[in-house]
Amino acid sequence: MQNAAMNIEDKGGDQLVLHVGPQHPGSGHFRIIVTVDGDYIVGAKPDPGYVHRGAEKMAEYRDYIQNIPHLERPVIIDATGVTLPYVLTAEKIIDVEAPDRAQYIRMIMAELNRIISHLYWLGIYGIFLGHSTMFMWPMGDRELFIDLAESIGGTRVTFSYVVPGGVRNDMPTNFKERALKTFDYFEKRIEEYKKIFFNNPLMSARTEGIGTMDKKDAIRLGITGSNLRACGIDSDTRKDETYCLYDRVDFEIPTRKEGDSYARCIVRLEELQQSMNIMKQVFDLIEPGPIKQVIGGVMRGEPGEAFVRTEAARGTMFYHIVSDGEKNPYRVKISVPSFRNLIGMTHLLVGSRLADMPAIYWSLDYWPVEADR
Amino acid sequence: MVNDPTLNLLVGKASDILDNTLEKNVREPIRFLVNWGRLYSLWPVHLETACCSIEFGAASGPRHDVERFGMLEAFGSLRQCDVLVVQGTVTRKMAPRMKWVYEQMPEPKWVIAMGACAISGGLYMDSYNVLQGVDKIVPVDVYIPGCPPRPETLIQGIIELQNKIRKSKV
Repeated sequence: MQNAAMNIEDKGGDQLVLHVGPQHPGSGHFRIIVTVDGDYIVGAKPDPGYVHRGAEKMAEYRDYIQNIPHLERPVIIDATGVTLPYVLTAEKIIDVEAPDRAQYIRMIMAELNRIISHLYWLGIYGIFLGHSTMFMWPMGDRELFIDLAESIGGTRVTFSYVVPGGVRNDMPTNFKERALKTFDYFEKRIEEYKKIFFNNPLMSARTEGIGTMDKKDAIRLGITGSNLRACGIDSDTRKDETYCLYDRVDFEIPTRKEGDSYARCIVRLEELQQSMNIMKQVFDLIEPGPIKQVIGGVMRGEPGEAFVRTEAARGTMFYHIVSDGEKNPYRVKISVPSFRNLIGMTHLLVGSRLADMPAIYWSLDYWPVEADR
Repeated sequence: MVNDPTLNLLVGKASDILDNTLEKNVREPIRFLVNWGRLYSLWPVHLETACCSIEFGAASGPRHDVERFGMLEAFGSLRQCDVLVVQGTVTRKMAPRMKWVYEQMPEPKWVIAMGACAISGGLYMDSYNVLQGVDKIVPVDVYIPGCPPRPETLIQGIIELQNKIRKSKV
């Protein structure tokens, strides 16, 4: 209680310490302690951990199947993105492999989730820049993709759909037609987004040249995902370390050279199109067949360890599982992209104006729940 | 004279009649007016505690649109808010902040516990850092189950809260 009462602190001179969050329209479940000198930020100290729920420790009490639901809660916005690397790692430990059809359905779900997550991000970014229309449009279009994902996974956001050995159930028969109809509609919408938001002079004035990240700094600080690609580095785990069947589809990695907030936005917008392209190709490649390799009895891992890196919506998601041959994993280590982007946020905030803080903060697509685990 | 039983009865009857008249013609309309005013202008605090916040955001979106039921989107100062929607898990670090936010809100105020974690710890029942139910630190009016609750469920919870406000005494 004592430290909660302290919100503004006088550092002497012209400097003032401001606590932004956790009850703040912009911060979410996160606090950042900024030192301002006039209008400029001279120091930024992040204070994460408001949603630390001990997912890694809890994973040690549960067996491989029971772990799936609670490991997807850190990023329910991108549920398949966070459970897929866990399942791929568990498959290495348990020594099973999913059939081709299951791999393709996993790819569809992962890409659908990427779109859902990016659209949520875009809606909130609109609010951050004071653009209410840009909240309403992506949130409305997001529901269409949620409907698609719901028809496969069964629930709105938390599917627990990917399991070791395959996927839980097959996708509906008319899924391809429904999906293609939605994509046709959404491709037109992307042009409208550009008209109202991305080519809007107010939007570019607030984001262009704001929070510019250098290419070298991005590598030094370990930035991942779209934030790294916005700095001109075409790194994508889907191509670098292929998993599922991403090597059979052809897609581009959108990059920008500028590394500012605008570049990060436009990279994410182009990723929406690429995700749809991937799914269209998967619809042509997918063939009827089994969706699951049935594992008899309780899953037990071989003693040993395994790790898998995948590309989630926010960047590289990394799982490391150590097994001692029991039905529970001995240790599950999750390395999440948001936590690494947090380091970049501190780097970007220092030297910028206080008014630019929302534009920088949310352009990194920092999701506090994911970072805290 | 005071001890006259007939008169006592009369006085008692008269006060009953007066009370009933007051209740029917003065207190009830005032109560109705005040409750009606509170009912359709609920201002939620923007305190995201965990992942249920995305369904809260989706409920403010165009498809579900809680605003048509008389609950605004979560923006603005907590000094003008009257509903605290606890959006999911409350950890040890968040709990004192949440209590502090609740204490800063002006009366009358209501609390909605959204999601299984806010009700009883939910999926995180054996986690070392999670508060097992927010009703241990703040009084809860409406519990909304789900993990996370669908926006429709959230809307139902808001309607339940409105029913509660409608019956409440001023």
